[in-house]
Amino acid sequence: MDLLETFLTAAVRVATPLLLAALGETIAERAGVINLGIEGAMLAGALGAALGATAGGPLLGVAAATAAGLCISLLFAVVAVRFRANQIITGTAVTLAAVGLTGAIYRDAYGAEGVGLSLPTLGILPVPGLSRIPVLGEALFAQSALTYAAYLLVACCWWLLYRTSWGLGLRAAGEAAEHARASGVAVARVRMIAVLIGGALAGLAGASLVLAQVGTFAEKMTAGRGFIAIAIVVLGGWHPVRVALAALFFGAAMALQFLFQSFLLGVPYQLFLMLPYLLTLLVLAGAWGRTRAPGDLGRS
Amino acid sequence: MMRLLATTICAALVLGSCTKDNQTSEFRVGLVTPGSIADAAWNSGAFAGLQQIRDSLGVAVSHVEARTPAEQEEALRTYAAQGYSLVFGHGFEFQGSAERVSQQFPATIFVVTSGERVARNVSPLIFRLHEASYLAGMVAGGMSRTGTIAFVGGIELPPIKLAEDAWVAGARRMNPAIVPRSTYLNTFDDVAAGREAALALLQAGADMFHHNADQAALGTFQAVKESPAAFIFGANLDQSSLAPERVLGSAVIDLPRAFLTVAREAKAGGFVPKVESFGLRSGVIRYDPNPALLATVPAPLQAAVSAARDSIIAADTGATAARPAQ
Repeated sequence: MDLLETFLTAAVRVATPLLLAALGETIAERAGVINLGIEGAMLAGALGAALGATAGGPLLGVAAATAAGLCISLLFAVVAVRFRANQIITGTAVTLAAVGLTGAIYRDAYGAEGVGLSLPTLGILPVPGLSRIPVLGEALFAQSALTYAAYLLVACCWWLLYRTSWGLGLRAAGEAAEHARASGVAVARVRMIAVLIGGALAGLAGASLVLAQVGTFAEKMTAGRGFIAIAIVVLGGWHPVRVALAALFFGAAMALQFLFQSFLLGVPYQLFLMLPYLLTLLVLAGAWGRTRAPGDLGRS
Repeated sequence: MMRLLATTICAALVLGSCTKDNQTSEFRVGLVTPGSIADAAWNSGAFAGLQQIRDSLGVAVSHVEARTPAEQEEALRTYAAQGYSLVFGHGFEFQGSAERVSQQFPATIFVVTSGERVARNVSPLIFRLHEASYLAGMVAGGMSRTGTIAFVGGIELPPIKLAEDAWVAGARRMNPAIVPRSTYLNTFDDVAAGREAALALLQAGADMFHHNADQAALGTFQAVKESPAAFIFGANLDQSSLAPERVLGSAVIDLPRAFLTVAREAKAGGFVPKVESFGLRSGVIRYDPNPALLATVPAPLQAAVSAARDSIIAADTGATAARPAQ
């Protein structure tokens, strides 16, 4: 594998959890809910994946991760949507709670000193034919099943948002909740479901981190990826396809920092570490004014 | 929001001063770690040390985790305010906060593991882990087939940089043409980053790895395990069990032993703040080869490593390697 292919493969691999989480957040934000709790849902998903995979293999891990993400976001949905608490504060609290909870459960399940778990993982599943495409084939089609699931989910989200009446109601709830309510959309219910979808996808993102990437669990291992996913949603202008491109862009920048550190000797590594954030700033500055947040985003 | 914050701070101050009145003369030991004690390395070693203090000396112990500088200072202050006799700030990053807190609490002994200088009742424990990393580097330099070795660091703290430099120097001693590569992750938590960094380094041709990235290094171990001809050297604890077929050895700090030494002295009374510096000579710092893979290391290389260890020990006159106060 040459260097370019290594880079592209790493970019897609690193982008997968970001993409899954960002897609979920896109649905929630289009419904008018900004959920900072997805960092916590992702972490819970990571632990769920570890527990599930320990008990019954990687597939059970994926299921447990989705369920864990769902549970955490249910907590957020009840407080922030049902009881209309401030979304930013609720989301932050949910993430902090998830950090503590996952740490406690992990230490309880695997011992306080940490054993350096080695979990059964989802292997690389090359798509026959497609993975032979020069340059991009390997990167896009020799990944784990969760990456392919993410591709499908991009299409599903797009279809859900733009081609179903439920999606129309959801976007209306996010743009102008009062008007949506007046025209018969059950805003609270739609938002609740949107947040739960977002949580399930964040859980799946945690699963891809654990089962498709590292094969182990560690406390706080999401390391801010949930928050990066929220930035990706903005960068992608709240549109599933553009969000997917933004996630890939972020994945590429993150993969690049390690390749640069390994191959470009003698350049201060701090320059590479700030690369993803620097690039985001540049792209956001370039995209300014061309996209607009949902009108009622964050209003409870 | 600001008012809420202010109220909380006032409440905390009041509570803090209450606990100060409840000071007991009982000897208690507190530990503040900068990360999770489930990292199978730096922090879990400290926690094991704390448990040994409890079991061997029969004293009450307590542990908290504090990541940000503000939290770390607050954690030290809380222990001191509760009348703890001995408080460990587990890492170089605690030096400044321990010095500030110590001014208010002269009766508490603050020990900064991997600290840099003595200040009043603040004592640094200096671990010359780089002496062991040097020996690990020698093995790596002698064993590398590709001639490229790699170091994965968490954050570039002075002790970590020292370990990296010693690892490279050790490798160069056995193979002057060795190509050293390194990656800093800027985090000790991000396991996926530890793995991605290792995958990039493998692509760059590295076949011998060493790290000082605590929990994030778990991902590095995973990457090494998955690639056919790469080996890794553990740090801080004997990490052979993480990948028994791929860990050639570990640069070990016997934290429990060091912690117990200090706590015993402090409990006996008359503890004088001083630089406690541990190297290979003390037995607290060791290079522990993985017994399962020892046969793969050629005998002349093993002999060279032993000779180097002996000469480092012989050269250690007990003078401290601490840098003077700035």
